Amino acid sequence: MIRLENVHKIYSAEVTALRDATFEIAKGEFVFLVGPSGSGKSTLLRLMNRQERPERGAVLVAGRNINDMPDAKVPYLRRNLGNIFQDYKLLANKTVFENIAFALEVIGRPRHVIRQQVPAVLDLVGLGGKQERFPHQLSGGEQQRVSIARAFVNRPLILLADEPTGNLDPATGEGIMRLLDRINKTGTTVVMATHDQRIVNMMRKRVIQLDRGTIVRDQARGVYE
Amino acid sequence: MISRLRYTFREMWASLSRNLTLTFAAVITSTVSLFLFGMTLLIQQGFENQLKLWTGGVEMIVYVKHGATPDQIAYLEGALQSQTSVIKSVDFCDEVCAADVATTLFAGDPGTLDQLLPAIPSFFRVTPIDQESSAVLRSLKADFKTLPNVEEVRTPDDAVEVLSQLKGFFGVRTLVMSVVLLLASALLIWNTIRTAMFARRREIEVMKLVGATNWFIRLPFMLEGLLQGIVGAALGSAFLLFVNDDWTKGVRGFPDTSGLEGFVVTGGYPVVVCFLMIGLGAVVGAVGSATAASRFLDV
Repeated sequence: MIRLENVHKIYSAEVTALRDATFEIAKGEFVFLVGPSGSGKSTLLRLMNRQERPERGAVLVAGRNINDMPDAKVPYLRRNLGNIFQDYKLLANKTVFENIAFALEVIGRPRHVIRQQVPAVLDLVGLGGKQERFPHQLSGGEQQRVSIARAFVNRPLILLADEPTGNLDPATGEGIMRLLDRINKTGTTVVMATHDQRIVNMMRKRVIQLDRGTIVRDQARGVYE
Repeated sequence: MISRLRYTFREMWASLSRNLTLTFAAVITSTVSLFLFGMTLLIQQGFENQLKLWTGGVEMIVYVKHGATPDQIAYLEGALQSQTSVIKSVDFCDEVCAADVATTLFAGDPGTLDQLLPAIPSFFRVTPIDQESSAVLRSLKADFKTLPNVEEVRTPDDAVEVLSQLKGFFGVRTLVMSVVLLLASALLIWNTIRTAMFARRREIEVMKLVGATNWFIRLPFMLEGLLQGIVGAALGSAFLLFVNDDWTKGVRGFPDTSGLEGFVVTGGYPVVVCFLMIGLGAVVGAVGSATAASRFLDV
C-alpha cells in the first residue's frame, strides 16, 4: 500500500529530516512510527500525503510514485488518505455535523450523500446525538473523535495520524486507540506517529523507530524501547 | 454541480460579510477610480464635440489692400484658388460687401463704423481643408501674407490651439489619475482577498488535506473580488450618469452666445462608457482576486 525507497529529506543545510528511509507497509496494516521529537516521524507522514517532497528517493502510495504526480492530481490522491492531528484542526465556527460534512462538501459530494454518511460515521466514533454541538462544547477526546470521523467519512484507504493522543489523558487516549483499531479492522491501513510509550506497548503492532532521520528499528508486534 | 455552486456562493457571501470594512474600502476605491476613468472619456468626448463645432466654421479672412485694382484682385483670387490641396473654397467680398458686413457688425457702434467705412478693405473668405490643425492654419497664414496686395490675414488658429491643448491637458492628466486609481483598487481588492484567505487559512488547510482542488478553494475568493469590482463600477456608472446629466442641464442653461454648447455628451455614448466601466471593473476585480487567490493558496 505504501512503499518508501531510499527517501532523503533535507529542510536546510543543518537539518536533515530523513536519511535513506526504506520500508513497505501492506494493505490493512497498523504501523507505529516512534522516536523522539525531531526524529522525522511527522516528516514521513507529510511525505505520504504529498505535503512535502523528498530530495531523493521514491514514495509510492497504492503503487504510484507520488513525487512525480502533477500538482493538479494531488487532491485526488488525498481523497484516499485521511489525516488526524494532535490539535484536531476542527473549525471552531462549525458544528460537529458541519465539520464532518465540510470534508465531503469540498470534494463535491451531493447533499443526500452527506446527510446519510455523516450520522453513520458519528455513530461509528460514538458521537451520535452530538452533531449540533460546536467543538468548544466537547471534551478533548470527543474533539479527536470528530477529527477521526472527518478523516474516515470518505472511507479512505489509508489513515495518517500524527500524535492523535498527544493532548489527551491516558484513559481518553486508550479510547481513541480502540477506535483506530476498529477502523483498522475494516481494512483501512493506519500509520500513526507517536511517542506515547504506553499506547505502543498496549497495542503490540508493527513499530518503525526513527532516530535523527534514520530508521533504526522495524519490528512486527513491537514495543516502545 | 448544484452543491458546488451552492457552496461557492455561500462561501463568497460569508467572506464578504466577514470583511465588511475592507470590502467597503475596495468597493469605494473601485467606484472612485472607475468614475474618474469614465469622466476622462466624457471630458475627451466633450472637447471633441466642442472642437468639431468650432472647426466646422473655421474660415481664414484675407484682407486686400484698400484701392487694389480689379486685375490685382483677380490675380490674388487665382493665386488662392490654385492651392486646391489645402483650400476647400474661396469667396470674394468686395468693398461694398465688406461695408455691409461692417454695418451689420457695428450697428450699435456708429463711431467705429465711421472710422472703418472710408478705407474699408475688400476680403476673401478662405475655407481650408484641414480645419483642426492650428499648425496648418498658421502655415497658410504665413504663405498668404507673402502674396501681393494682401493687407492682413486673420485665422482662428489661436482659439483652435487653446482648445486642442486643453483637450490634451485634461485628457492625459485625468487618464493618468484614473489608471493610478484603477491600480489602487486592484491592489485593495488583492489585499482584501489576501486578508480573507489569511483569516480562513485553517479552513483552507483542512480543505487541501481532504482533497479539495485549488480551483474549488479559489473560486469563492475570485467571485468575491469580481463582485467588488462590478459593484464599484456600477456605483461609479450611476454617479457618472448623474454628474453628466447635471452638467448637461447646466450647460444648456447658458446663453446661446456662450460658445460652450458643444461641451456636452449626450445620446448613447455615456451608456457605452458605463458598460465599459463595468467591464473594466470586472477585469480589475477578477485580476486582483485571482492573483491573490493563486499567490496565497499555501497559507
